[in-house]
Amino acid sequence: MFKKTVSPFNIKNRMAVAGLLLLLLPIIIFVRLFYMQTFLHESFSSKAERAIYNYLAEDRLRGKILDVNGKILAESVRTHSCGINKRYVKDKEKTISFLSETLHMPKNQILDKWNKSANFFFVAKKIKPDNYIKISQILRTPLGQGLELTPEYERIHPYGESALDVIGASNSKNFGLSGIEQMFNKELSQDISKKRAKHARRGEIIYDRKLKEELSVANVYLTIDELAQYHAEKALYRAVEEVGAERGVALVQEPKTGKILAAASYPVKDGQSLAFQFTYEPGSTFKTVAVSSALDAGTAHITDSVPMEERQWEVARGFIIRDKQHKKDYLSIPEIMQLSSNIGAGKIALELGAKNLFYYMKAFGFGSKTDINFNGESKGSVTPYNKWTKVDTVTKGYGYGVAITPIQLIGAYSAIANGGYLMQPHLISHIEYANGKTERWAKPVKIRRVLREETTQIMKKVLQSVVEAGSGKHAQIKGYNVAGKTGTAEKLSKEGGYGKRSHVVSFCGFVPVSDPQFTILIILDNPSKYSFGGTAAAPVFKEIAEPLLSLKGVPPDQLDFE
Amino acid sequence: MPIFRIMFLIALFAFCVMWIRIEVNRSGREIGRLQNEVEVKEARNQYLNLEILRLSSPETITQQAHEKFGFEPIKPHRVVVLNK
Repeated sequence: MFKKTVSPFNIKNRMAVAGLLLLLLPIIIFVRLFYMQTFLHESFSSKAERAIYNYLAEDRLRGKILDVNGKILAESVRTHSCGINKRYVKDKEKTISFLSETLHMPKNQILDKWNKSANFFFVAKKIKPDNYIKISQILRTPLGQGLELTPEYERIHPYGESALDVIGASNSKNFGLSGIEQMFNKELSQDISKKRAKHARRGEIIYDRKLKEELSVANVYLTIDELAQYHAEKALYRAVEEVGAERGVALVQEPKTGKILAAASYPVKDGQSLAFQFTYEPGSTFKTVAVSSALDAGTAHITDSVPMEERQWEVARGFIIRDKQHKKDYLSIPEIMQLSSNIGAGKIALELGAKNLFYYMKAFGFGSKTDINFNGESKGSVTPYNKWTKVDTVTKGYGYGVAITPIQLIGAYSAIANGGYLMQPHLISHIEYANGKTERWAKPVKIRRVLREETTQIMKKVLQSVVEAGSGKHAQIKGYNVAGKTGTAEKLSKEGGYGKRSHVVSFCGFVPVSDPQFTILIILDNPSKYSFGGTAAAPVFKEIAEPLLSLKGVPPDQLDFE
Repeated sequence: MPIFRIMFLIALFAFCVMWIRIEVNRSGREIGRLQNEVEVKEARNQYLNLEILRLSSPETITQQAHEKFGFEPIKPHRVVVLNK
């Protein structure tokens, strides 16, 4: 009889060993997973978030910028960029031919990029939706292998360069860089990538449409009226071309509310509006400030006659002012303005006194920034009156020795037009938030009363006479009473002193005088052809004002004009 | 025999699970495709709207009105506002 021996390698033990071996791998995996989940959790989750965040960082939403009537001036459109990952391309020749045909690009151009890049390169950025469809349809076929479509937003300006100097620019990552885009970057843009990354971490869909709608951004409405802007730009560019000016500004304001209806600049640069950033010596358009201040303070009266000192007034030793445009010995105040007499304006300023003139200038807003807060807005320059000499007071009377901005000057003329109030200028009408809330910005705000109402009535008549019988004749509009003042100022030359060849011509006025609806300022800087405010800038006023009066249906205020 | 029944039931259950998984995947892909289509159509719609804006800009309208119909801007004193 054989003795039954128990082998250590019997079937039961073998099964147990095999079972243990089979279990070993899952156990190792389990232990590793446990370790990772417990001790490396933070490190992995932050890595994942960073990866998703980086991917989604490009996908930023940006609100619209619209004009006062809701016409879109800037909008973000979702586009895609097409790239090639060379490593995964199956058939180089076929893929390049397809892209060349679809994207309407020469083959050589794509091949050039191919040869210059190590592996990945962008074939075309911001491709149109139709092309995107064609490419996305072949992505999962052998032809599409190695192709990548990356989503991104493109900022579109439907009206081209219109108002671009005010709107400004945003970069490819949808960050506002200048103008309104920068001023309201916080309201216009919303970086939702972090929130999306969190959603993605929880296993939800990254491009969640609900999330997109929920976190939608604000739309900024300007006070700019696209139609007014178009007419201002058209007239300004024509005038700039005609006289060969280096720079130009056309500004339209509603005198009763302070709203800016148009702000055109030449040359057009993103977010660089000359209406707020350009400083210049205004010349004769500033006589309105000196004369209205003197009338308001009572140092001058509308019936006064000012002696002309034989049209050569020696203000101080070696400083002589000459009036060559008339032969009169005395001029009334309306005549001083009509003939743009420097002697007359200088004498009125001197009579008013440095201190009074300084305070009126400050009250009109000169030497201070407006609360528009446009990027790079200048405050101009008005030196304190205690530093003025007699010559300084006189020259300031006719607009020299003072640096102002277009927005300040138009504010002063609007104050005369609206009965004496300096109004807060507005560029933003309202902001519409995603939750339906609307924040009104352009409420009419009276900053202060600058002139008495009686003074403004007199000044309106004086300025009207400038257009009817003086240097502003080219601004006349059939059926409407127009008030305004021309300006032709010589510019400081590099060598010192004022150069005859370099000058600024301008016109500022309002229409209709009986119930002013528009204050318009035109400035042409450094025209190559010698020109005057009355011949170069005043016609631009008319060119801008006529379509505006038609469009707004402003009734004529002249009784018998046919 | 019961072992075959159990195996059949397990196989049927496995088949059902597999079928559901395939259906879920297929539906997921379909949803993705449709979402993509919606986005493309939205983008195209946006482009078309912008094209409308471009074509209805004051510059284009003025130019077309002048070239096609010989229209000229009217002088403001000729405008009659009937009901303002």
